[in-house]
Amino acid sequence: MKITWKVGVGASVLLLVTLRGHADTTLDQYLTLSGFGTLGVVHSDYRQADFTGEYIQPHGAGFSQSWSPTPDSDLGGQADLRIADGLTGVVQVLSRDSDDGNFKPGIEWANIKYAFTSDLAVRVGRTLLPTYERSDSENIGYALPWVRIPNEIRYSNSATHSDGVDVLYRIKTGTVTQDLQIQFGRTSEEFSGAVFRGKDLVVLSDTLQYGNTSVHLAYQTMMYTFSTLPPARFRLASAGFTYDPGTWFVTGDSNVAHYDFFGNFYAWYLSVGMRFGHFTPYLIYSLEDAPDSAPPSGLTHLGDERTMGAGVRWDFAKNIDFKMQLQRVLIETTDAPASFNDVQPGLRPGDKANVVSLTLDFVF
Amino acid sequence: MKTTWLSAMIFAVLTAGVRAEDIVVIVNPAAKPVSKAQVADIYLGRSAELTPIDQTVGSSIYVQFYQKATGRDAAQVKAIWSRILFTGRGQPPKQLPDSAAVKKSVAANPNAVGYIEKSAVDATVKVALPLD
Repeated sequence: MKITWKVGVGASVLLLVTLRGHADTTLDQYLTLSGFGTLGVVHSDYRQADFTGEYIQPHGAGFSQSWSPTPDSDLGGQADLRIADGLTGVVQVLSRDSDDGNFKPGIEWANIKYAFTSDLAVRVGRTLLPTYERSDSENIGYALPWVRIPNEIRYSNSATHSDGVDVLYRIKTGTVTQDLQIQFGRTSEEFSGAVFRGKDLVVLSDTLQYGNTSVHLAYQTMMYTFSTLPPARFRLASAGFTYDPGTWFVTGDSNVAHYDFFGNFYAWYLSVGMRFGHFTPYLIYSLEDAPDSAPPSGLTHLGDERTMGAGVRWDFAKNIDFKMQLQRVLIETTDAPASFNDVQPGLRPGDKANVVSLTLDFVF
Repeated sequence: MKTTWLSAMIFAVLTAGVRAEDIVVIVNPAAKPVSKAQVADIYLGRSAELTPIDQTVGSSIYVQFYQKATGRDAAQVKAIWSRILFTGRGQPPKQLPDSAAVKKSVAANPNAVGYIEKSAVDATVKVALPLD
């Protein structure tokens, strides 16, 4: 029943967004429709596993097929509603390769927002977690300088959404602005054929801004259950920054996480890019490491890998970009390397995968 | 010598048509002064101190304004606003079709900020900053 409801809402929003050219003008006062998407294809030369765009994707490129369109392709539709003074609502539906290997639309955002002042607002409903510097825009290809946010940085956090309450508070002290966000909620994700549930989910996030510099700090905690495991605690602290004056940028993000059953995880990335006309070439280095301590799970070095990437973004026309990204991934573990699924018995620590990703990102 | 002079003439003729007219940032006559950094913050969604008004996205004045005020091109600006829109934090600035419409809106709203050609300025609005 629940699944049918979600698909119904999802299909309706996507349909509304594509028909918006015919929308009645009086409706415009109350409803804004917009959307985004990515058409992508990935090639990997590594045959012992599939390179994926997200850990929940069961298949990708390399083992099952050398070229795959599933890692990065997606389509999203959003409806913004103006309900009354200070009261707005948003529903965002995303169709992306998900845990059961199809593109069934899922609800990313569905909440009502009340703005008490221009600096203080409360959202009730579903929001994306602000755990990482860019986690709330992870599927908006057009908003990212790279093809995707590095798989390593997202690996340790199985939760991406919160169903609950979110408070947004902006504080201005001189020329420094802080956007504080506090979330309370619960979450559930399905992957590897089992359900991951997070309760007592609390996220504190602070984005400090000074001109072209921003720093993001966050802390997340929750009690989780996965498959048949008893409830256990998860904690994560993250710190990231971006300096972007327009002609070039440097950005990085890092996090330290702990699962009571799975152990500790560290991950970070650093990227630099420059703008030449409509081209923005970039370099990006990312790493995930689950150090040696012996977790109860017995899975050591869970996810370990590092990736050197280089690519270019080409803004060739209005509202659309093309990206080409080359990556060399060093796999350092047999236990669920961060970017791979469908791991085959022939996978060895020290193996390298050469991955090429091509995407068209657009907004409408 | 002659070839250089000819090239210079051709260059001058070709670029004369695309020479940018000066743009100014305007606010309501009752508004407080605003700095270039504040204008950049407002138009890139980092600050809601004033309500920004855009001219048609991609038009010559739009492109020149963002380049001068924020150092960014239209695609970079769109990417920034896409992130804000699709994370539920706001909507891109309202677009008005020409400088006359921008002036009218800014004159009527003490919280509005806009940009128009310097030659279009009149007593209904206050120039907050010239942009060069």
